[in-house]
Amino acid sequence: MQPADDRNPLLDGLRIEPTPSPTALIIFGASGDLTRRKLLPAIYHLSRGQRLPARFTVVGIARTEMTDDQFRQQFHDSLKEFAGVAKPDDVSSALARRLFYVHGEMDDPALYRNLLAKVQACGAPDGMLFYLAIPPEVVGPVADQLATAGLTTAPGADAWRRVIVEKPFGSDLDSARALNQRLHKYLDEPQIFRIDHYLGKETVQNLLVFRFANGMFEPVWNRRYIDHVQITAAETVGVERRAAYYERAGALRDMVQNHLMQVLALVAMEPPIAFSAENVRDRKLDVILSMQPFVNDRDDADHVVRAQYVAGWVNGAPVSGYRQEEGVNPASTTDTYVALRAYLDSWRWAGVPFYLRTGKRLPKRSTEIAIQFRKPPLHIFSRVSPTPIAPNLLIVNVQPDEGISLRFEAKLPGTRMQLAPVMMNFRYGSAFGRAVPEAYETLLLDAMLGDATLFARHDFVEASWALITPVHEAFARAKASEIPTYEAGDWGPHEADALIAADGRRWRTL
Amino acid sequence: MSEKLIDGLLPSGHDVPFGEIEAAFARLAHDGRRRRVPRALLATVIVVGPPGRLIPAAEALDQLGDVGVRAILISEGTQAEPVARVTDTAVAVSGLAPKYLNNAVAALRLSSLPAAVWWRGGSIETFGDIAELADRLIMDIEHPDELWKAALGLFERTALTDLRWAALTRWRSALAHLFDLPNVRRGAAAMKQVTIETGDRPSARLYGGWLKSSLPWPSSAKLDIRQSAASSAPLECVSLDCGGVAVNLRMREGKRCLEGTASASESERIVPTGDSSLASLIGEELGMRTRDLAFERALIAARQIPT
Repeated sequence: MQPADDRNPLLDGLRIEPTPSPTALIIFGASGDLTRRKLLPAIYHLSRGQRLPARFTVVGIARTEMTDDQFRQQFHDSLKEFAGVAKPDDVSSALARRLFYVHGEMDDPALYRNLLAKVQACGAPDGMLFYLAIPPEVVGPVADQLATAGLTTAPGADAWRRVIVEKPFGSDLDSARALNQRLHKYLDEPQIFRIDHYLGKETVQNLLVFRFANGMFEPVWNRRYIDHVQITAAETVGVERRAAYYERAGALRDMVQNHLMQVLALVAMEPPIAFSAENVRDRKLDVILSMQPFVNDRDDADHVVRAQYVAGWVNGAPVSGYRQEEGVNPASTTDTYVALRAYLDSWRWAGVPFYLRTGKRLPKRSTEIAIQFRKPPLHIFSRVSPTPIAPNLLIVNVQPDEGISLRFEAKLPGTRMQLAPVMMNFRYGSAFGRAVPEAYETLLLDAMLGDATLFARHDFVEASWALITPVHEAFARAKASEIPTYEAGDWGPHEADALIAADGRRWRTL
Repeated sequence: MSEKLIDGLLPSGHDVPFGEIEAAFARLAHDGRRRRVPRALLATVIVVGPPGRLIPAAEALDQLGDVGVRAILISEGTQAEPVARVTDTAVAVSGLAPKYLNNAVAALRLSSLPAAVWWRGGSIETFGDIAELADRLIMDIEHPDELWKAALGLFERTALTDLRWAALTRWRSALAHLFDLPNVRRGAAAMKQVTIETGDRPSARLYGGWLKSSLPWPSSAKLDIRQSAASSAPLECVSLDCGGVAVNLRMREGKRCLEGTASASESERIVPTGDSSLASLIGEELGMRTRDLAFERALIAARQIPT
């Protein structure tokens, strides 16, 4: 944090957002997919948008042997493939000159000595942001080494050290606690940024604006007016090259524990007293703490359905079943689809079910939040317009086609009183006519600025695991033959339909 | 003259009597043959100027048409009820007597959305009057000194800016980024000289005014503005001699990027100049709503710099 009397006088009133102080971004896992697909393009776009500090350095770290120049070439290749920058331009060339690379084993102290030397050679900027784009089992050892090398301790008041940790944050409650404790040995919580890219998406951030910058929605945002909420994250892809990870994780731990829980918390949270990291995260934590366990002895209801896809058709092409995918155990019981029914013990939400579902190899790639309102108490048009009226529906499209739609009943033009549902649509792409930034751009910049609002806090992660771990343990106890299946290209198993049908409702068709 | 202007402003519009403009908007809004995808309306933009400066503004707004503005294009004249030409997103009124300008704008603006006035020329009296109706007043004339003088009295009434200020944004942010470096900030206290090369002296005065009003400007520090004969760009080069620290910003060859250097830290920075088209600049301005205190301070200081 910059002292007030030493602030940059030229930033006053400037129509750019705050810029981080001089920063070295150190990427562990620099030769990996995430770095090539997301991080390097995000850095380029931030630089183009003048969002990076004047003194900005990237140091890539991985086991792969590479020179600085080869890493720079990887940067240009990545921009070509994932950012549409066909050939190096002035911005990418200038940025490339500030890219460096160090290779070595993650548990080798020599790697960290070399890293320190490289950073010092670059002018030892005020801030160091360590991006751990590495497998979860390596996070702890890297944190140990960083601390031992003195890299987690800021040398002065103006300096800062922060660490971005990629999901998964543990694989169950115990491992999440252990990871948090290990990180907290060397780092204070404000130094730790657990990244969930869903939170960087424009529509997800807009949920806060939609709810708390408008006076008309919040009064009806409760059990009196809302019948239920459906949160869907549907993917058309299979496990692709992530079989080794996915076999251990499954849909429940890959998607529900983090992304869907975060989205649910934003939908259900109470208004924070201010838009600050701690206030927002406190209110989100309240939501998770108020959730009833999915596995409990209070009722006999089954609140969770899991399933696995078998061979089918997606986007007009035949695809193999999960167990036939490369790297997958032919007898795997890993869930590729999960549907859950959640209840919150709070005054606002008591009795309102939140239905969550996510799956791979579904017919359409779509993530949305659908808030269905209660029907009017009396259908006064039933004699003249016998068609049942559709309840009001508010749909928040997270991806693709980010936006918000509201469904309401309208009179069909004509002399008769006939009703029909209509949609009022707001689309980011068309309403503002400007590009929506990639989630990683937003989140990388926030981490450099020290704004943790859109990052997961340790207590949220642990509370979320406390809900999910018993479900996973129940899955683990089940035999392979007991896992329901769905054909690739279908909207999940019949059991998921039955889960919601038991309440007299049905899943939205996306 | 009026008809020729209107043809140039909105060639594909419909001529309607002055009193029927609103009805024409309503009719066109329901015309299924419209060429654009309808977008959310965000603001009314009222452009006032002489005929020759209205046409480029109309073209710029036409490019922004699908960003959701209703454009009202007005050239001053002597008529009380001139013929208007209307498209689905714009109306052009040519030859309107200045005393009716306020009434016309009040009737045609979208009452529930912000109104921005883009001032490309006209009588100074009208400029002051129209401030009452504008949420934002954007000055954009070739020789702005008289207008700037009038603007100083309007700070409390509306949010003011000059389109040059938008054109200088990248130059300001590029320099500001170099001032992120603590040694550059410290060096500013020992400022000796600022040299600005420019193709547009008012831009350089505004930039100089911004520096003088933002930095700890010692009384001995000099500001030297050099006119670049070969350029019409707002700025070509800015150099700050801060004692031991030399800060330099210059347009690179090709005019696509700015290069910034600060000697003490050997820091170098290249940023794109961005799109400096009229459409882009006015588009950027339309995103602003609030008073810009940095601009107001810069304008006050710029007025002290010789024209």
